[in-house]
Amino acid sequence: MAGNKKINKRDIGKLLNEWNQGFTVFVPSREDKVTAFAKWDGVNISFMEWHRNTVIPPKTNFFPLMEEMFSFREEEDGYHTELPSSDKHKQLIFGIRPCDAKALSILDMAFKEGYEDPYYLSGRKDSLLVALGCTNPYDSCFCASLGGGPFDSTYVDIMLIDIGDELLIEEVTNAGRELIARTAGLEKVTEVDEARAKEVKKSSYNKVTRKINTEGIQKKLQACFEDKDFWEKVSAKCLSCGICTFLCPTCYCFDINDDSFKKQGARFRSWDSCAFPIYTRMPMENPRSEKWRRVRQRVCHKYEFFPTDFDVIACVGCGRCIRQCPVNWDITEILNNLPAKA
Amino acid sequence: MINVDVSQRRKFFAHGNVYLPHVVTIEKIVEETYDTKTFYFNFKDKRLREEFTFEPGQFALFSIFGMGEAPFAISSSPTRRDHLECSVRQIGRLTNAMHRLGVGAEMGFRGPYGNGFKLDLFEGKNVIFVAGGIGLSALRSLIWDVIDNREKYGRMDIIYGARSPADLCFKYDLDTWETNEAINMITTVDRGDENWTGRVGFVPQVLEQVAPEPNDAVAVVCGPPIMIRFTFPVLEKLGFSPEQMVTTLEKRMKCGIGKCGRCNIGNLYVCRDGPVFTYAQIKNFISGEY
Repeated sequence: MAGNKKINKRDIGKLLNEWNQGFTVFVPSREDKVTAFAKWDGVNISFMEWHRNTVIPPKTNFFPLMEEMFSFREEEDGYHTELPSSDKHKQLIFGIRPCDAKALSILDMAFKEGYEDPYYLSGRKDSLLVALGCTNPYDSCFCASLGGGPFDSTYVDIMLIDIGDELLIEEVTNAGRELIARTAGLEKVTEVDEARAKEVKKSSYNKVTRKINTEGIQKKLQACFEDKDFWEKVSAKCLSCGICTFLCPTCYCFDINDDSFKKQGARFRSWDSCAFPIYTRMPMENPRSEKWRRVRQRVCHKYEFFPTDFDVIACVGCGRCIRQCPVNWDITEILNNLPAKA
Repeated sequence: MINVDVSQRRKFFAHGNVYLPHVVTIEKIVEETYDTKTFYFNFKDKRLREEFTFEPGQFALFSIFGMGEAPFAISSSPTRRDHLECSVRQIGRLTNAMHRLGVGAEMGFRGPYGNGFKLDLFEGKNVIFVAGGIGLSALRSLIWDVIDNREKYGRMDIIYGARSPADLCFKYDLDTWETNEAINMITTVDRGDENWTGRVGFVPQVLEQVAPEPNDAVAVVCGPPIMIRFTFPVLEKLGFSPEQMVTTLEKRMKCGIGKCGRCNIGNLYVCRDGPVFTYAQIKNFISGEY
């Protein structure tokens, strides 16, 4: 691609400052030792040296941990409701990884299908994803088994490739192309740069060594749905802490609650998790009170139910649920050892 | 592929936002039993009073501002449009709070959601209603619809049971249906009391005794999960096919529109693909629960 440009890493600050005019730029940042995407402070570009994905996925930019849906107040003539002001800036997510960009495309399906979710979609509209390819995937990453890869640019607007002192910039979508066209201070790439980028991509792809076999996975899961012994065995060590769901870039379950003081308050939503027994609890019964049913729900939702609805597995192989699990529960181990139907 | 297309469903969003409730006022409260009340609602917005319609079997999310939301079946019939009814058993935090509300109190309302009963599936057929306890509220809308369009349907049986005579809901409806010659109304209780002269027996057993003919018939079942679980095998024994058995399910819900995740049975969401299902749709999941 002869048109590609590049930028020296030390000039990233300048670049982000420029982009911060038309967008609100979010970058990987570290708070209390946990990495997540945060508004760029205009100075710090140390994230360029991490070479690793964030702990908290960028789904938080469009589907925050907690958000107000509307406020209400009681006046003399009764209740009045009001939607929160929608002065959301266009978000530019800088340094998003290909897996997390794909995860957003999965959330897009879930929130668009049927009744549209206005909160998520208003944030996603006009957002721009500037991805940084993964040159240093974790052992727990398995994106390649799910049709992705460390430099998969399918779901991003711009892809950045680390070629040493510089980043090679690949324009992917029209929106990405337009942004690059009006960005000053970018250099043209040389043939040597292109060759280097190609090499980086290849060697990075080879670093994704963890594999799962997704062939016929829906059928296999259907076949063992009732296999209580299997599900009890694989869920035995699970603590039902829910961290795998909270940090999962494709998990989107939520709860809705009210908060009020005197005559006014708000209805808000917050992340919820299928790992929690109260998630499905009703006054008289609970269809998933037992842990093995909840673990089964999580695995089957991602690999059987969601694909039935949307023709895509709701897992991108980011490996967070493996890395962050306090008891080393490993979804790849389960998927690779599903019982063959007797 | 998703099995349902909600684009044809009637939508009455407040300010285009599916989660924002309309304000409704309680116009009347009927004490059904010691723990169940029927609330009569109307929209504060006069235009909505005119325009709002729904299908029998659909539900809505009712909320007390500051307390929260819960789904309830709309138990009145779309053929009787001057108000909406919803019957609520005092059983959890929100329903307890609802029972403390009086006439004139305001609540939040969003809906209608869910698929409702496919009336063309019932037309020209004999319809057997099998209900337990408060479960009748989810069928009542359809029962009144069938009564109001009686000529479109064949025989009509209603088998309704409750734990005790004191637990029978909609007694005023039961009396009306009892005297209606076009309806075979059977009321039963699990345990009678000194004044009870009617039938005693669990709903599935009574159904087996009544033994309705499966030919050209549809059975509609709603009640506590345990009743539903024991009723399907009886219907199967009587010769009903899984496609001839219809039920409406209840699950914990938050969004009501297939997003928040908790009400699924396999890939089906009770709020989006249901709450009305044929036994054929859910039988693979219902045996081992979900």
